[in-house]
Amino acid sequence: MNHDLSKLSAIYDRYPRKPQSLIAVLQDIQKEYNFLPCEALKQTAEELNVPLSKVFSVSTFYNAFSLVPKGEKVIRICVGTTCHIRGAKQIQEQLEDELKIKAGQTTEDLQFSLEVVACVGACAMAPVVAVNERYHGNVTVGSCKKLLKKGKKG
Amino acid sequence: MISMTINGKVVKAEKGEMLLKVTRREGIDIPALCHHDAVEPFGGCRLCMVEITKADWDGWKNYVTACLYPAEDGLIIQTHSAKVNELRKGVLDLLAARCPNSPEIRELAAEYGVPQTTLEEVPDADNCIMCGLCTRVCERLGFKAISTVGRGHSKQVAPPLNEAPPDCVGCISCAQVCPTNVIPYKDINGKRTIWEKQFELIACKECGKHTITTDFADALCERRAIPRDYFDVCDDCRRKELSLKMGSIVAWSREGTS
Repeated sequence: MNHDLSKLSAIYDRYPRKPQSLIAVLQDIQKEYNFLPCEALKQTAEELNVPLSKVFSVSTFYNAFSLVPKGEKVIRICVGTTCHIRGAKQIQEQLEDELKIKAGQTTEDLQFSLEVVACVGACAMAPVVAVNERYHGNVTVGSCKKLLKKGKKG
Repeated sequence: MISMTINGKVVKAEKGEMLLKVTRREGIDIPALCHHDAVEPFGGCRLCMVEITKADWDGWKNYVTACLYPAEDGLIIQTHSAKVNELRKGVLDLLAARCPNSPEIRELAAEYGVPQTTLEEVPDADNCIMCGLCTRVCERLGFKAISTVGRGHSKQVAPPLNEAPPDCVGCISCAQVCPTNVIPYKDINGKRTIWEKQFELIACKECGKHTITTDFADALCERRAIPRDYFDVCDDCRRKELSLKMGSIVAWSREGTS
């Protein structure tokens, strides 16, 4: 896959070109492309004067970074204790069925990624499903479909 | 200078030097897998645990990694007490489960009374103990070609992007410091392969023996103002040449004085 890497220089300009800026830069690249392209990692290493091995180490360490393309909408199902008790497992199964992917995977049209997370800190409205930055509480197996429809519309 | 008591013997040491250094100087055998004198102490393998106390601690004891604990005046150290051995046994039990095929770990574990791990052995074990010594040595040498990748159970040592590492010069320091010898490399017909990258080995002009890689020689020359032809001849041949030269000087000076 070819990616337009011209947006990278604008990202580098936002921060001091120092090793300390590494995570901030990677976050911005992740946001821009929905993943970290290999070429971008190489360029980042050069721009910020960080060894490539370090860049790779950091980008594989944090869950916020992905080396494979993520869907436009990242659906995170909370499976923390409270959500688990209130049926997160069923919601996960429902969403997996709907999207025909397993948790941790991305749909072929790159529209949705499905992830499970341990706790999003919103136990009062369990079970919680987050779509990108938006948190949906008291989700039921029935309301999953609506979530996806809303997601598709954008 | 300060004085400490190690296994009942009074020992002098510099204030602040690490206990492991002191015990090694005293000839006490403490196992340590993640330690290497060339790099900063790390405290990763937890095998160099020792028991420390002081006369005014009212019988309290503490268990610390010798590689990371600085020497202090009046420390009373036990390196092989029953409790310390028990701690090492626990660590070795875990390591033996992680590295069931490593002769180095098996031998050490057997020495501490763990002939077989009591835990479930890791399937398809790569026998890496994740001490990171290879990456630290690589960083110390200034190449920074490899690093740890991922985290948790899937963490491993790997070159960036899982491709041949661009910064690697094929010095094989990583393979040589590895406590469980799990970093593979091959020297065949003047070519070296490590981390799936191929290097050209320099052949000695005198005897034809292969020495270091051209990339490593280039890196050394760049940093240390060493003339590139220094690496044309291997150490053995250089020594031979020097001894012949010395021999002729000695002969000449004898002739001169007689």
